[in-house]
Amino acid sequence: MVDPALVLSSVVTALLVGCIYGVLTLGLNIVFGVLRIVNVGFGAFVMLGAYITYFLYKDYGVNPLLTIPVSFAIGFALGYAMYYAAFRRLVGAPELSTLLATFAVGVLIQELARIAWSPDIRGFTWDIGVLELAGVRIVYSKVVAALSALAVVAGVYYLFTRTRFGLAVRAVVQDPEGAMVVGINVDRIYAVSMALGIGVTVAGGSILAIYLQQGIEPYMGIPYTLLAFVIAVMAGLGSILGSLYAGILFGFFEAASFLAFSMIKDALGLDILPYVLTRSAAFFLLLLTLLLKPEGLFRR
Amino acid sequence: MPSPLRAAASNRAVIVLAAIVLVAVVAAAAILLLRGGGGEAETEAPQVQQAEEKFAGTIKIGASLSLTGRYSTEGTRTLAGALAVVEWINDNGGVEIGGKRYKLELIYYDDESQPDRVIAIVEKLIKEDGVKVLLAPYSSGLTAKAAPVAERYGVVMVSHGGASDKIFQQGYKYVVQVLTPASRYFQSTLDMIRKLDPDAKRLAIIYKESEFARTVAEGTREYAEKLGFEIVFFESYPADATDLTPILTKLKAAQPEIILGGGHFKDGVLLVKQMKEVGIKAKLIGILVAPAHPDFYKELGEIAETIVYPSQWEPSVKYSPENTPPGYEWYGPTIEEFVEYYNRVAAEVLGKPDLGLSYHAAEGGAAVLFIAKAIEEAQSLDPDRIRDAMNKIRIYTFFGKLQIDPETGLQIGHEMVVAQWQNGKRVVVWPEVVAEAAPVYPSPVWWED
Repeated sequence: MVDPALVLSSVVTALLVGCIYGVLTLGLNIVFGVLRIVNVGFGAFVMLGAYITYFLYKDYGVNPLLTIPVSFAIGFALGYAMYYAAFRRLVGAPELSTLLATFAVGVLIQELARIAWSPDIRGFTWDIGVLELAGVRIVYSKVVAALSALAVVAGVYYLFTRTRFGLAVRAVVQDPEGAMVVGINVDRIYAVSMALGIGVTVAGGSILAIYLQQGIEPYMGIPYTLLAFVIAVMAGLGSILGSLYAGILFGFFEAASFLAFSMIKDALGLDILPYVLTRSAAFFLLLLTLLLKPEGLFRR
Repeated sequence: MPSPLRAAASNRAVIVLAAIVLVAVVAAAAILLLRGGGGEAETEAPQVQQAEEKFAGTIKIGASLSLTGRYSTEGTRTLAGALAVVEWINDNGGVEIGGKRYKLELIYYDDESQPDRVIAIVEKLIKEDGVKVLLAPYSSGLTAKAAPVAERYGVVMVSHGGASDKIFQQGYKYVVQVLTPASRYFQSTLDMIRKLDPDAKRLAIIYKESEFARTVAEGTREYAEKLGFEIVFFESYPADATDLTPILTKLKAAQPEIILGGGHFKDGVLLVKQMKEVGIKAKLIGILVAPAHPDFYKELGEIAETIVYPSQWEPSVKYSPENTPPGYEWYGPTIEEFVEYYNRVAAEVLGKPDLGLSYHAAEGGAAVLFIAKAIEEAQSLDPDRIRDAMNKIRIYTFFGKLQIDPETGLQIGHEMVVAQWQNGKRVVVWPEVVAEAAPVYPSPVWWED
């Protein structure tokens, strides 16, 4: 028999952590969806956001929530600059070139961070209380982080579906030449989209930092790069709401496989490692997705 | 089209190219020389002259140490610790073989924390420098690289920074260990709990999925069962887990009295933080590695209070000739002498007065002591006789007890000390004879409401 508190706790964690996965994946997905560039340097931008929150909160006492827009603004500026410095020439270039270019940018940022801030692992404590619910404790700072993630996804969704800018972006994605013919400044759309994608990624890093509050170091983004790729493939590369759905689905899948493996372990007395197996289970899900619905689960 | 002009041009190109190659080769050689031998050549030279009068000769100990690269801090401290003990021994009459006194000399090169460099350096030490005994490099990974080389040439190598049990399961004859292996990390912690609370029963073990932490966890389970603990939870988490809440909720439901586990720094901090978030209660929590770092308290604050951790050595531990246990012989410097020599070596020989003291230094020093004692017991520099002599050594040093398992070379004498965070400070609480303070148990932070 499975402990009901464990099930409830797993569901809550899946939802909360799923929102974080979602917003991180969104950052990756915007850049890919519009510019067709796979940002392999993704993790470095996540790390940047986490450091921004850490320093602003620890050194200046800024409320961690307010660091999210700061991170977004810094990421936006960085993405804009990156586009005109390098990626403008790489739109439509062979995939290997863009992979190498984003990889290089990522490594550069990570190493600069290591030199500037040292490889020390940092953390902070932002304690705003705990909610007790049927024997399960839900930490408010995690709820706040998940809600911020939802807000960012909603904002991006609004931007892409309800504004003239979004209309222009969609036109560019469908047919860049056609968009140019009707007078859309394609170059600018690319620049702003890149800025937006990096902005969301850095903001996502801040949200992740609020969620975890620990383990902030120059290479912290690396595992999230892999994670975001898996979720993006599940979502369908380029899909906005799909990123969120797939993130939450991934969170649930992790939780469910942990519960399932735990039950198998207890019932059969097998010597297996339930929590470690959840990752392999997640990649199995990815494989299934690619086999059955290669265009992604949430792509029209 | 071989025109004369073109031939002249290509000739010139060849000359220029040759010149460039020559300059590059000379520069590379110069860099290698400076990097490899520079350090000890400058600092050791004056002492060699002095030694000629007092000593009949010099015994060379070789070492590949990480003075740069990712293990630079640990490697440099190990070096300073080893040099401190070498100097102490030389100042106290050196090593005696057949009635003659010999001076110890440490020959070392920087392996840059690179496995390939380690292999090359160990070969060089054996073939060119002719050393008969080796200090292993720092870390289990690099020690595992050096071990087969030492074994192939039949040179005794003493591991001081490689806690892995696996190295000693390969059937190597010439590789021995002075630090406590991973499988015994929590033994002294369990002994302490048994003494404090004979009724404590329910033990949870949660560890990071890594070779080191798994060895610790399995060794802990085995020893705890012997002491009569009931293992109510035994699970691992992946190194890059984002949120440990589900697995900790499961742990909470198992209602343990004692929790032992962890892995490394990053996950250890997350583990403790989320244990508190989930509302876990325990009389005592013991975590690997992470609490030994000052940042542990800086990041966690009050919830770090009363967390215990096993440590190979702490500068505040009180091993002394007076509390030498029966069956053991005191050997080498006292802790005060070690610290004094260490600080002097760090400042004067290595030029790093603010190097800082940690267990890495003590491990390096302990390895030198073990070697010196073995040579004196063997009365020879023959590797086989040194290795045989090592089997019989039972010494008590500033680092604690030293004794190896004759079969595998694993350390079986040395015990981990148990340290605890008390009022924002790390204090040694176990073993009793060397403790600074009594352990706080059960933990008011983690047990009471």
